[in-house]
Amino acid sequence: MLNRLKIERAEKDLTQDQLAKKIGVSRQTINSIEKNRYVPSTILALKISELFSKSVNDIFFLEKED
Amino acid sequence: MSKQVSSYNEEHEALNKVINFRFPHTFKKVGIIGAVSVLAYLFAYKFIGSNTLLTKDLLRTLILLFLFVASLSKEKIEDEYTVHIRFQSYIVAFIVTAIYAIVIPFVGFFLEIIIRKITNDGVVNLNDVSAFEVLFMMMAMQLLFFTTLKRFGRC
Repeated sequence: MLNRLKIERAEKDLTQDQLAKKIGVSRQTINSIEKNRYVPSTILALKISELFSKSVNDIFFLEKED
Repeated sequence: MSKQVSSYNEEHEALNKVINFRFPHTFKKVGIIGAVSVLAYLFAYKFIGSNTLLTKDLLRTLILLFLFVASLSKEKIEDEYTVHIRFQSYIVAFIVTAIYAIVIPFVGFFLEIIIRKITNDGVVNLNDVSAFEVLFMMMAMQLLFFTTLKRFGRC
């Protein structure tokens, strides 16, 4: 699964640490999601999309292999 | 039927409580410092040679207890990624320890054969790995892999 988290974060001018604090996770979690090393849970994906006022599908999308 | 379902749910909740049980974050430092201190003490006394078998067994159990507490302690920020890498570290620790427990007796066995051939002395045995070794290895590996996976998340 791929995501646009880094782009969305840059558009909102947020650091990884600021975003992590806003949604109550660690900076490592945000970093791992951005690097596609970790697929967040539905709850976390919804929290992220809510913060950016977008739908989950606008931020997270499937790859061909998924 | 609904009674059975609610009973399953209760059992599931109880099991989840056990699975998700964690000591507070401060216990992690206590566990690691305690284990390292006892290990150093054990090494030091090995050279002096004054510790009895009972002391040795007690100290070994104490090391396992400290490592167990450290392994089951929360992180400063406990989130789903922490839970994810913790489970991964338990899997890796289990696999590494299983390989260790299977391979090490054979390594020892072949080394003893080589030594016996060179020196023409000694008995060749297939020595078992002790329960302490297995548990120590498993918990130490879990802590090591957990720290490594956590570090990967930073960069």
